[in-house]
Amino acid sequence: MAETIGSIIILAGAFFHFSAGVGLLRMPDTYTRIQAGTKASTLGNILVLAGLGFYHPDWALKLLVVAYFVLLTNPLSSHALSRAAHAIRIPMAPSTVVDALTERNAARAEKSGSS
Amino acid sequence: MSPVEEESQRANAALPRGFAGLWLLLLALWIVFNASVAPAILFVGLLAATAIAWIFTTRTAVWSGVLLTPGTLFHFLAYTGVFVIELVKANLNMLRYVYAPRIDIHPGIVKINLRLRSPIGRLALANSIALTPGSLVMDIDEDALFIHWLDVRTTDPEQATEMIAGAFDKHLGKVFG
Repeated sequence: MAETIGSIIILAGAFFHFSAGVGLLRMPDTYTRIQAGTKASTLGNILVLAGLGFYHPDWALKLLVVAYFVLLTNPLSSHALSRAAHAIRIPMAPSTVVDALTERNAARAEKSGSS
Repeated sequence: MSPVEEESQRANAALPRGFAGLWLLLLALWIVFNASVAPAILFVGLLAATAIAWIFTTRTAVWSGVLLTPGTLFHFLAYTGVFVIELVKANLNMLRYVYAPRIDIHPGIVKINLRLRSPIGRLALANSIALTPGSLVMDIDEDALFIHWLDVRTTDPEQATEMIAGAFDKHLGKVFG
């Protein structure tokens, strides 16, 4: 019984991973792709780990720690990627409505240029 | 010597601020990894936890804002609850975008206010934002975060702050300051 529940949870996790992959292909620009990859794969990972916990109840605490590591590191890597992408001016999708970061950078450059 | 410095000197003479919390966390992790409390393993763990916690709390100020009190614990649990709900919401949202026949989004980078002061609180907030519906931290200033928003609904910093960080800000402020 526990194994059936575990399998279903792992399958749900796999579905989120698959959706992350589809999101990577379908989203219009780098930044939105990073977003799709980050979120869906985080929940997918946690669900797979939780499902594994049903198979091996004695691993539960270790799996919890692994889940926390995923939660800590996944957003960091997506932040680093998107920040680097913006720093080398990878273009944003045409549907983009506002870019406060470029405005900030422009204002900062102007300030240092005038002083 | 100013009163403030004097006080920090006195605190250093006993245990550095935040030492107990970090020490407990490290020891708990060690016991979980080993899945055993045999005397030899426990001894090595105690030694390592003490050394690492000592170095981190005396050499950096990162941990010094985190104090272990019942209030902190309660707000940490409340934060975890809010976070899990937001994470699931983020994923369902993302599924809706991903499987829509035509992806109709208006992405953009907005600026929001940052009220948290401690470095670790900021890290926690930035990480939480990255995992919540359609937002991703791009850059950080003294008092502002730049967020890539999948579907921009407002460009006003005040409103955007409330919509993106409002749920976490309160609890994280209580835990990390």
